Amino acid sequence: MAGPGSSPCASCKLLRRRCAKDCIFAPYFPPDDPHKFAIVHKVFGASNVSKMLQELPVHQRADAVNSLVFEANARVRDPVYGCVGAISYLQNQVSQLQMQLAVAQAEILCIQMQNEPTLQSHHQVLELDQEHKALLLQNNNNNINNCSNNNNTNNNLGYAMSSGQFNSNFASPSSIMQMQMQMQMQDPLKQESLWT
Amino acid sequence: MNPKRCAACKYLRRRCPKDCIFAPYFPPNDPAKFACIHRIYGAGNVSKMLQQLPDQTRAEAVESLCFEAKCRVDDPVYGCVGIIHLLQTQIQNAQNELAKTQAEVAVAQTKLSQTQNSDF
Repeated sequence: MAGPGSSPCASCKLLRRRCAKDCIFAPYFPPDDPHKFAIVHKVFGASNVSKMLQELPVHQRADAVNSLVFEANARVRDPVYGCVGAISYLQNQVSQLQMQLAVAQAEILCIQMQNEPTLQSHHQVLELDQEHKALLLQNNNNNINNCSNNNNTNNNLGYAMSSGQFNSNFASPSSIMQMQMQMQMQDPLKQESLWT
Repeated sequence: MNPKRCAACKYLRRRCPKDCIFAPYFPPNDPAKFACIHRIYGAGNVSKMLQQLPDQTRAEAVESLCFEAKCRVDDPVYGCVGIIHLLQTQIQNAQNELAKTQAEVAVAQTKLSQTQNSDF
């Protein structure tokens, strides 16, 4: 048993065995939360979890257990896709946000293009006489109307797509695997715990 | 031994029966696939999981299990939860960037209409 006064950890309780002093599960599976170990055992198996923890330094084991519990819960909730379902959903969200961002950036460019002729002509108008001022203002208004009527949404999307600013591919398992490799190359893995 | 054993039965060094639950998803030409999944989940657990699923969903389940197992082998601490965290961070950053850009659009539109009004 773990000690004269203490009860066995949740894993030893479930496995119906003596909880040794150096039980590898005891720090992470307290007896007051039997469900936590039950679900990890159901998906991964106690011996696999034990092997995984033994291969890790002690200071990383808590995070590893938490991620295993998360994955096990996801697999029980969705026996076909598990965590991959969540990854697919999040990747779609990223794609949609990138698309919206590209549209907004294109919109700014369009507005700036509308502004520039106005700014230039504004300076020029101050230097000219009244007759020439009227003529320039008329031409400027025609240009602005042409830009507005030019079906802005389609142009913005066309610009965004041609500049390759977003990826509209929705995730399949194989594309998720490729994405994972790309992300790991671009972003070094976190140094600090995900769970703080 | 049946020369056409699936990768799972080859790995487990056993006879591959006609109704082997692994055979449709672990062809003999890809031994690494089963090795990876066995290392993380164990053959017994995978077999139980597949038995509880209808036939038409088993292929997808195997692919997702393989993906998660590979993630766990590559990152023994966080597995595919690391990817989820990365995506959530990307979403947060994209939302912040979008909010900032939309605010800039609003400011630019205001300036434009002010300029147009002053021209008239």
